[in-house]
Amino acid sequence: MSARAVGGSNTRAWQIASYGMVLFFLAWVLIPICTVTLNSFKPATAIFTTTPDFAFVPTLEHYANIWAKGNFARQFLNSTIVAVGTAILALGFGTPAAYALTRLPVHGAERWFRAFLLARMVPAVSLVVPLFILLQLAGLKNTLPGLILTHTGFTLPLVVWMMRSFFQDVPRELEEAAVVDGASRWLTFWRVALPLTLPGLAATAVLVVFFSWNEFLFALVLTGPQMQTVPIGVSAFVGTVSVDWGGSSAAAVLAMIPMFVLGLLIQRFLVSGLAMGAVKG
Amino acid sequence: MSPRRASRLEDGTLLGYAMLAPAVVLVGILILLPLAYSVVLSLYDWKLLEMNRPKKWTGLGNYWKLITDDGLHNAFINTVIFMVGAVTVELVLGFIIALAVFHMTQGRRLANAIILLPMVITPVITALLWRYMLDPQFGIVAQVMTALGGHGGIDVWGSSMLALPGLMLVDVWQWTPFAILILHAGMLGISEEQFEAAAVDGAGYLRVAFSIILPAIIPQVLIVLLFRSMDTYRIFDTVFVLTRGGPGVSTDTLGLFTFRNGFSYLQMGYAMALSVFLLATVGLISAVYIRLLRRRGML
Repeated sequence: MSARAVGGSNTRAWQIASYGMVLFFLAWVLIPICTVTLNSFKPATAIFTTTPDFAFVPTLEHYANIWAKGNFARQFLNSTIVAVGTAILALGFGTPAAYALTRLPVHGAERWFRAFLLARMVPAVSLVVPLFILLQLAGLKNTLPGLILTHTGFTLPLVVWMMRSFFQDVPRELEEAAVVDGASRWLTFWRVALPLTLPGLAATAVLVVFFSWNEFLFALVLTGPQMQTVPIGVSAFVGTVSVDWGGSSAAAVLAMIPMFVLGLLIQRFLVSGLAMGAVKG
Repeated sequence: MSPRRASRLEDGTLLGYAMLAPAVVLVGILILLPLAYSVVLSLYDWKLLEMNRPKKWTGLGNYWKLITDDGLHNAFINTVIFMVGAVTVELVLGFIIALAVFHMTQGRRLANAIILLPMVITPVITALLWRYMLDPQFGIVAQVMTALGGHGGIDVWGSSMLALPGLMLVDVWQWTPFAILILHAGMLGISEEQFEAAAVDGAGYLRVAFSIILPAIIPQVLIVLLFRSMDTYRIFDTVFVLTRGGPGVSTDTLGLFTFRNGFSYLQMGYAMALSVFLLATVGLISAVYIRLLRRRGML
């Protein structure tokens, strides 16, 4: 038994209590998710009952409906384009900056680094109006590139933070050896440091995708009907008086699945990523 | 070329700035410039629909209005209640569950995988989930209450007493997992010797939890507090989707109030002043935590 299971005679009771509490918490997490998933397969008659109804014939009509209407398919495509575009831009700009601040002789690197942290703390609500105006002036309002740009601004500081902590984990000796062998500093970054941080790069990319896929305020204000993303589409279901339970549940399930898959894939890196490298190790 | 410049090229100074500059410029254009712009605009009186007309200078007029605005006072109080309530529950519940996960000998990976699910769900969808859970007629909570012989559910979102606690519940559902994962990661970093020493002393479960584990994970506690305080203070999506600030103004928050002044009442100058206020207060909250973190060598 590991040393952490201490506590003398009452250890076993605490063990059982621990499992009990975790199980309760998992149920609390899963019940809403399962409810909405079940709803998405229920015919309307089974949704609108005042007693729990599990004896229903599953149907795919809600999925067929929201897909046939076209809006959701379009929103799904928009969200994918924006999330991938944001990840490419934010990593493309943020990764070199992180490397420069970690390994290259940049004056005041610590201060630049802290400036990025401050940028991360700016509330979205404080920026939405001026960005609305600036994008309009630039002719980028109601375009996907416009939305990608605003998401990039918000996630770039996060990328710099995370990638710096991953670069710090690369052994210095490896890079020094490459320099001694005559590689330029750029080649050292490109051929030595970058390949070694690929897992970190992937985890950072996934976090950026989470942010962009879930972002609501900018997508709401900066996009018109054609450029809407998934969260805006789902919010349209909730705001109305008569809610389309089946349709909205199906949309919710389709929007959740890709995030669950990505989340489980990078689970190992997610904790350090969420705390921006601050609790690593 | 002078020898000095050649050596600079070699040691990578130039490359360093070249790699840093694009990110700095982009953040400058997308964060700093809009921020400066909003400070300037907060000194004018203007409406969104009159973008091409000359704006009326009011100096600090918008800020004066802000001090005396009852709507803002209400939103501020709601926001602080929401922040303190939700963050406290998330931290306490997070510590209890993280401790329980820490004591598991089997299935910890699976538990962690399920625990992270709420965090990756779009807040809008979380709102939808809880709209269904708490629907007074067809929601699962109402169904269970009926089955137990009650009169069905309560309309949480339609009650000015329950709507704000309801929003806290939604935030707790979505973000307690964040507290669990961060605190659990901190617990994994505690050295085995400390536990062994405690075992030799015959310390019980609670004694170990509060005398060894809790002091060791104070940095992680601060990180949870920093992120959750900042995020709950500027909450927008969930409130916008679930209650729009209602019933009445019972769930109006700072984020929503600012948004409404800008995009519903079109009072852009005033909305900008509110944005600056929001930014300044968020800065104040984070400055306190960052100071605490730096004192512990975490930043």
